[in-house]
Order: sequence, then C-alpha cells, then structure tokens
Amino acid sequence: MAFGAEGYEVTEILTASSPSDSRSKEWKPGDGVTLEVSGMEWIGPDRLAVAIRKGEVWFLDGLLSKKPEEIRYTRFANGLHEPLGLLLDGKDLLVAQRAEITRLRDANGDDIADEYLTEADGWGVTGNYHEYVYGPERDGKGNRWVTLNLGMGDLSDNGKGWKGWGGIIGKDGRFEPKSLGMRSPSGLGANLEGDMFFSDQQGTWIPATPVYHLRPGVFYGNQESLASLKSPEAPFQMTVVPKPNQPYPKALEESPEFVPPAVWLPYNKMGRSATDIQVIDQGGKFGPFDGQLLVGEFTNAAVNRVFLEKVGGEYQGACFPFLGGFPAAVVRLCFAPDGSLFVGMTNRGWSSLGNRSYGLSRVRLEKAPFAIKEMRAKPDGFELVFTEAVDPASLKNAFAMSSFTFQYSSAYGGEEMETAELKVVSATPSADGVSVRLVVEGLKPLYVHELRTTGLKSVSGRELDHPNGWYTLNRIPE
Amino acid sequence: MALGLASGLQAAPHVVGYERFHAGKPSVEGGAILFSELGCANCHGGSAVEVPRKGANLVDLAKRIDRDWLADFLRDPESGRKGSNMPRMVHGLADPDIDAILAYLGTLGKNANLKVPKHANAERGSALYHEKGCVACHAPTPDFHPPHAPADLKVSPYAIAHPDFGKKTSFAALMAFLDSPSTWRPDGRMPHVALEGQESADLAAHLLDFQDSDPGNANKLKPWPKANPEAVAKGKELVTKLNCAACHTIPGGKAAEIRPLATTADASRGCLSLAPVAGLPHYELTEGQRQSLQAFFAGTRPETDSDGRLTLAAMNCYACHDRDGIGGPTPETNPFFVGDEALGDSGRLAPPLTGIGHKLQQPWLEGVFAGAEGSRVRPYVKTRMPNYPAHAKVLAAWLAEIDAETDAKPLVEHPEDLEAGRKLLGIVGGTNCITCHTWGEQRSLGIQALDLSSLDQRLRPEWFRSYLLNPAAYRPGTLMPPLWPGGQATVRDVLGGDTDRQIAAIWSFIGKGEGLPEGFPDRSSGLYELVPSDRPILQRTFFEGTGTKAILVGFPGGINLAYDGSGARPAVVWRGAFFDAYQTWYSRHAPFEKPLGEQVAALPETGVETGRRFRGYRLDAAGNPVFLYTDGERDVSEAFAVAEGTLTRTLSWTEGSAPSVTHPADVGIATKAGEKTLTFIYSWK
Repeated sequence: MAFGAEGYEVTEILTASSPSDSRSKEWKPGDGVTLEVSGMEWIGPDRLAVAIRKGEVWFLDGLLSKKPEEIRYTRFANGLHEPLGLLLDGKDLLVAQRAEITRLRDANGDDIADEYLTEADGWGVTGNYHEYVYGPERDGKGNRWVTLNLGMGDLSDNGKGWKGWGGIIGKDGRFEPKSLGMRSPSGLGANLEGDMFFSDQQGTWIPATPVYHLRPGVFYGNQESLASLKSPEAPFQMTVVPKPNQPYPKALEESPEFVPPAVWLPYNKMGRSATDIQVIDQGGKFGPFDGQLLVGEFTNAAVNRVFLEKVGGEYQGACFPFLGGFPAAVVRLCFAPDGSLFVGMTNRGWSSLGNRSYGLSRVRLEKAPFAIKEMRAKPDGFELVFTEAVDPASLKNAFAMSSFTFQYSSAYGGEEMETAELKVVSATPSADGVSVRLVVEGLKPLYVHELRTTGLKSVSGRELDHPNGWYTLNRIPE
Repeated sequence: MALGLASGLQAAPHVVGYERFHAGKPSVEGGAILFSELGCANCHGGSAVEVPRKGANLVDLAKRIDRDWLADFLRDPESGRKGSNMPRMVHGLADPDIDAILAYLGTLGKNANLKVPKHANAERGSALYHEKGCVACHAPTPDFHPPHAPADLKVSPYAIAHPDFGKKTSFAALMAFLDSPSTWRPDGRMPHVALEGQESADLAAHLLDFQDSDPGNANKLKPWPKANPEAVAKGKELVTKLNCAACHTIPGGKAAEIRPLATTADASRGCLSLAPVAGLPHYELTEGQRQSLQAFFAGTRPETDSDGRLTLAAMNCYACHDRDGIGGPTPETNPFFVGDEALGDSGRLAPPLTGIGHKLQQPWLEGVFAGAEGSRVRPYVKTRMPNYPAHAKVLAAWLAEIDAETDAKPLVEHPEDLEAGRKLLGIVGGTNCITCHTWGEQRSLGIQALDLSSLDQRLRPEWFRSYLLNPAAYRPGTLMPPLWPGGQATVRDVLGGDTDRQIAAIWSFIGKGEGLPEGFPDRSSGLYELVPSDRPILQRTFFEGTGTKAILVGFPGGINLAYDGSGARPAVVWRGAFFDAYQTWYSRHAPFEKPLGEQVAALPETGVETGRRFRGYRLDAAGNPVFLYTDGERDVSEAFAVAEGTLTRTLSWTEGSAPSVTHPADVGIATKAGEKTLTFIYSWK
C-alpha cells in the first residue's frame, strides 16, 4: 500500500476544509467551490476545466503560475446532472450527464456556457442511482467512447438500454454499442498508440479490479449486461455464454468473445476500486515512464502504474503501486502543459483513506524513484527493467514469485484462488545492470504472477520504491 | 408448481449437516451429527450437539394432521416427507395395532384453536418464501428465478424437502405452525422465522399453492373417526413400549426409558441392522451413514461441541453463515440472498460466525437468538435471522464460552477523548465513518451501512478494536477499508495519530457521546432551496411527471417549469417556490423529485408520433432557455420567458405546419400566431 510519492512533490491546490466544505453545517450553495472532481480537461496554457459531482463545470486559471490562493475560479456551466467526464472538442467541452452527452458552447466568449446541446443519447435511464455514465474519451482514430454502468438495487433494470456496455458516439448522435460485460467502468483513457482502455470495479461478476483494452465485439465478463443482447440493435451475439463458478482461465476458454483484462489489479494489494486512466505522455517530464498508464485508485486515495506490452497481438502487462497519501479518493487524472500531473478527488458516495471530502492536487517530478519500470514476459520467465542500475550484490535471494487466479462467478468480488509458489531459478543482471532476467519455473497462462522482492538496492544505494508487482500473464511469449 | 420436490433426496434420512460436510468420508464427526439428528441420543444418551434433536410435539394431532397421511407416514416416513429423519417404528405390528396407535394419538390434547384469516395472498407468500430465508434450507419453487442468478441455477442437494402440505395438513394448521414452529417442533430444527402480521397466511397460501384469496375456501381436515376406548388403551401401551416419548412430547404419556448403548460391535442386531428388527427403530441408512455411525461408536466420541462444528451443522446454521471457513450459502442458494447490493456481499449475506461469541456481548447474542426487539441490525439484508427462543440462553452462553479470547488486547478509554471521537467518526478531518454508516435515524452520506450509534450495546470493545485494525480479516470482501492500515493512523492530527487512543475515542463517543458525529448536513436550514433572483436557474434531475431527463427552470417571480428532455416538451408548470436541490446535488440515491411550490399543473403528452428529438437548449442574454428539437422535417425552437406574472412560450419552426403542443390545465391562455411562429401566454388567476 502506497503511502507517499517517492521522488515526486505533491502540492494541495484546494482541499475540503470545514468552512467551505459542501457537507459542513456552515456551507451553503454559492460559498466557494465544492470541488468534488468528476472530470478534468486542460483547455489552455494555464486553464484547467473541472467538472464537479454537484453538476457544474469550472475554469481554474493560474494553477501553474500563481499561488493557490490567487487562482481564479469561474463557473462555466451549471445545472448538469451528475457529470462524470469532460472532453475538449474543438472549442467546446463535451460533458457526460445521466441522460446524454452534452456539448457546452460559449457562443459570446464570456467564459460562461450559453448553449447546452445534445451531442449524444440513446441509452436507457431508469432513475436508478448506479447508472453512471462515463466519458467521452477519444481514441487514436477519433472515436469518442462512452461507458455505461450497470444499475443496482431499487428501480434498476439492466435490460433497459445498454447497461454494462461501452460504445461510441455515432454519426447522428446515437450511442452505438460496441462491447459488453462491464460493471462500473469509471475510467477511460487511450495509450500512446491510440488504443482505448477502461478500468472496471470489483463487484458482481468482477473478482478484482481489471484494466481492459476497449474495442468492439468483445465481452468483459459481467453477465448482467447480456440483457441488452435482446435488442435488435445489438451489434453482435455471444457465441457461447461462459458458465460461472469455475476458475477464470477455464471460463475464458469457453467463449470466443470473452476476453481477459490486460491487467488485474489484485484486491487490497493494489487498492480496491480503480478510476481514471491517464497515459504518461510527457516526454520524460514526469519520469521515465512514458507510454505507461496511470490508474486512479478511489479507496486508497492513490495512483497506480500499469506497464503494458503486446504478446501475440494482445495487450498484457504488470501493475505497480505508485503514488499515495492523497487527501481524498482519486477520481480523475490529467497532465498539465508543464508535465505536472493534476489529481482530482472526491470521496462522494464511498469512503477512502483520504479524510477530506474532496480536493485537487498537483504532482511534480523531483527525481525519478528507483522502481521496477517495466516487467516483460519471456518464454521462461520475466525481464525486469529498473529506473537505474541494480546493485548486483542485492540480487541474491531477492525474488519470489507466486501465481493465482480468481473464480468466475456472479458473486460480489472474489478471493485469489489456486495460488501456487513458483521457483525463481535464476536472476541475471544485464551488462549495464539496468535490467534483470528472471527464469521462473511453472508459468501459467492466464494467471496473475505476483513478484515479491526483498532488499533490492540501486547502485547508488537507493531502496526500491515499491517492492512488489503483479503481471497478468494472459499469454506466454514464444 | 411442485413443492417438496427437492433433488438429491433418497430414501435414506436426509441430515443436512451430515450430507453437506461428511457424506464424502465416514468420520467420527459425521457420526456424531447423525447420532444426534437421527434421535439416537434420545434413547441412548451422549450427544455432543448443544441443542438436542427431538421429535415433534404430538399435541392436537387430530386437529392438525390428516389421519390417512399420518397412517402412511408411520408405516413409511419417507412416503410422508422425502428424507424424513423419523425411523420406521411400526414394522412388525399388525394393521389393528397401527390403528390403535392412531386412535391413541388422536386423543392427545384438545387445545389448539385454529382459525383462518379472511385473506391470504400466495404471490406475496412466494416473495417471502424466496427472499426472507426459507430457501436457505428448503427448495425454491421452479417458477421463481432470483435476480443475478445464472440461467441454469440448480436446486441445492441439501434442500430439506417439504411434505405435500395439501395432503398432510390444513391451511389453519399450517399457518398456526408457521406462527410458532417451536410449539410443535421444540428442537429448533425448524426455527421461528419472525413473521409479521399477514405473513404467515401468505406463506401458508404459497406452501399450499392456494391461489384463492379467501382461506375459508381452503380444504379442511377430515375429522378423525371416533376412537374406541380399548383401541386407545392398546395404542397407549404400544406407544409406551416403542419408547416414542424419548423423542416426542406426548401429553399425558409415560416418561421415556433411557437405554444404554449396547457395547457389542455387532451392528446386525440393533437399530443399524440392514433388516428391520421388530420393536426397534429402523433407518434406511446409506452405507456412508452406517459407516460414520460405526466410526463414531468405535472412535473417541466428542463429549461437548468445543468448536461449534457439530451444533452449527446439526441446526443448519451453516446454510446461511460461515464460521471458520466452513459453511455459508452454496452456489445454488447464494443468489437467493438479496439485499442492498451497494454494500457488496455484506449487504445481502448473513454475517460470518467466526468468533461470534467473542464479538458480541452475551446478552445481545441471547437477544439475537430470542428475536428480541431491535436485534435485527441489518435492515438491508432481506433474509431474516430465525429465532430460537427456547434455546437462546443456552446457545449464547455456550458460544461465549467456546469463543472466549482471554488474551485479547483491551480497549482502554480516556474520558477526555469524547470530542476527538466525534471528530473521528465525522467527515471533517475524521475517518469518515458516517460517509457509509448510518447513525440512529440519520442516514449516512453514501451507502447506507450498519448503524454505528448502538455498537456499544452489541460488540465487545476488544473485538471492536481488533476489527478496526483489519476489517477484512473478520469479514472477507467487506467494503470497509482499513482506516488504520498496518496499525498506522491515517488521520495524523487527532490525538497525535495514536491508533489505540483514536479507536478508543470512537468507542467512547458511540457509548457516551451526545449529539451527532461531525459533518451531517443540516437539512432543516433550507439552504439547498434554489431561489431565482435576477436570472432563471436551470437544473437537471429526475422529476415526477417529467422523467429521467428533466430540465427544471425556475424564473424570477415564482413561475417554474419542468421540461422533458426525452419527449422535447414542457411537462409540468408550478407557482411559488422552485426546487430543493439537496438530493440532486448530494444524495447518492437521488430520488424522483417534486415541485417545491403549489398550483402544480401537468401538460399532457401530445400523443403525436413525429420522431421528435431533443437537441438541447440555448440561453438568451437574460438567461432564459430556448429549447431545441427536431420534429419530423422541422427544426423547432421553443423559448420560455416570464413577465408580470405570465409565462410566455414561443415556438418557431423552419418548415411545414406548427408542431403539436398541449397546455397546462387551469391556466389562462392567450395565443399569437405569426409566420412559422406561435406564442402562448399563460396566466394564473
């Protein structure tokens, strides 16, 4: 569990405090900004647009150049219904509301939206609280993706309009469903190649937190979303619906449409509920992790890091704890033009280790941590690439590995199962000491491979920032 | 619908605790469960199960049970109920003897005053049966499919079969039984199920598949034939001889005789013999059951149930509860446990019983068993904890004894830390407990998890301390985060970040603090009412009469409008106060809202199908909304503005005739028509 941000400086821009806290007795509408961040988009050299749960979009000016108390807050839009995503589109902002994606346009240039135009709709809305709508996010081809939560509890009817589906905004502004099997896909983000990814939440049918490659024609496992297949507009049908109550790898074999996550983030070990996905695309300004994905973590008020590679044409990879200790649940992430990371937070609805109800923080690189930068699968083990050369003296008995999977079932979350200790046969450093080749006996395809290190040091004597990592070995490379 | 047809049942007695945990391999433990549950211990003594298995109370049989059913049941218990644990007793007796036994049984008690209510509803009964916990032990009816269950859901092999109630009993008797099972089943194997009001009638209707609404029309019991005194005397003699009172409560019967277990290892001559022996009980045991009993006789027999495994298996507590990794719902019964899904599995499943005697204070535990008022603390779990009033004291004392942890680190309170406790429970620099947990009548701010305000009456403080340090260790899969991960306080500036003092402070405030934890919003302040002053206020929400895409417009001057963004039409207008946005802005479960003011008038739907499609709205310089939609080939704009107590609605369109409109009732309407434009001015008296 991460409780700091080794190598990074974290500044709190705005954090809930009693007098202006939306839930304090003294607070009233109009007092300050209740910055329960639910969407962020950088829209100018020093201007950040922030959507908040209450239903507003604010412009924050001066974040990069001014002291926190000098930042100017302008309310751009209001009266929205629980916006959970924000995207710059030309000069306009697109915002996800409960019942539509809305184009917010400032026609007269006074920094206040005067047109709220329907950009997309076409999914069912029952009034159930859990039917959250996320996005849009743009992939490399220009598709704008939207994901739809399953309903849960009173009023919910998952047969009504693409619950648990992801899709794109079609030509005429209709939601075009593309793939199904989601539960609470609250984070979307493309990688450097322009491929779209989403995170889902542990819960019914989802044993732990997954990060998936989002694309058409596939099923991500949650069978409650099958209800919409009855619609004549369903883009495809399932050849086989995988049977529950068997280990995940077995269930995956049954159905050609059923795909595994690119990465599992094991429950508790990596946090509990993933949120936003943000690719690191800062040309090294945020450390040596370009191309990797940052994944927000709600409960632990943290940010995790995901390394991906393609094996057999499909994404898979490893996850590592990264930044922690934020004042509230991390919900949205975005990079500022200067390469600093903005972390948007709100504890709304659930609880987190952060004890403030909302906040906005800025993270800047000081010095890259000594960390496992990459973990690559090899036919007989793994290759670890570090952010600096490893002290060869610390390699002895430094590595242990186990594998496990989960039960595929309708239960709410699942324990790790079929856990097996694997033998690390050898650990050989490269000539420059920056990578270490592990030979491991007993690799199992489709199982999560947990790497545990002890006592690793860099040549400069630094200790490893986070000692463990988890590789989801969907395929063993040939 | 076919009740009582549970799968996996054989002619052998169905003892759930044995079938589920021991049928695979003969064992002393499996034998110990059978020894209790087949009633062996009632004659022979020596059961380690904490609450002994007994037979039915035979009072008022003639008023409750059909005589022919009972006659068949005596000859072959399996014919009366699949998997019955009642042994055959009357083999070797001639028909007149069996008639004599029935004649005697028919005389037992005349106390029951059985009545039927005026109304019953089998459908409601089915919902009760499938949601409140009956199906944890019994088979569901095939026409009921729980939400979230896989399509091919099977019936649990451990389901306890029902008799054919229509053949066995009457509506009135079944209802009376459901109201108080322990009157007739004193051993708690069929517990009290805490039915309220009309529920026992509804449940009886379901079990009898009685679809009429008037139970007066249900089949009544055939009167038993008048018994002749000689037969009664003969019957009484036979019942005494067969030692029926060892298991059964027999009003006016002779006390049972305890017969020490034969020391012989020769199983062919006693109750375990393959062929029935006249005068001895005969069980159609499976080979596994026989071997388990023999293992039990041959092995070191447990004298008490020191870890709970025998009693929890025997009483089928494991149907709902896990304890030490054993038991809990099976894949077949799991989907029937429903509740508040937002709480995860904790919101629908019964709590684990691991260390329960250490977790709960003994009087509270006793109250839970007894069904004391207020003892149900998880209103969101639909399954009701059944009650064991006759055994509450014994069970609570026993669990407290076997689960005692004498070396648990105590929770040490500091009286001066009360206010710190208030802060820690709250959301203003605290550990945010009330984000998820309710506090007495006060709803939480997020998910509605277990009430914290009465924990001090339920939990032992040392358990509370250990639990908070690592919730997942006590409740795997809980949504409760570890707020002191690795023992480290996440709130550093309260009580110096001292973990033990913080936890103790929370405990102190729960027990002794006054008022609320810090941070509940003050709803009574009216601060969330939106009051338009110089410009209109727009707010989207779920709204009654308008739908899930409602756009509310409050104009200065007390005229308000709800526009339906799905149908592209004004749906509701009202005067006076506009809207209270609290739920929309801050509630996790935002409800369908209502107008705050008065003179609420709905506009009917146009009923004209033109493929009308909402396209959003613009705000004019004064902030008035102009709604946009396409209607067939037309692009339409619909502007609203307020002046001098009137609402002006102006439609403009690009081609063709005017789009269809409706108007609110009881409102004055002035109309102005122009070139592809139409204006309505609504006025109120």
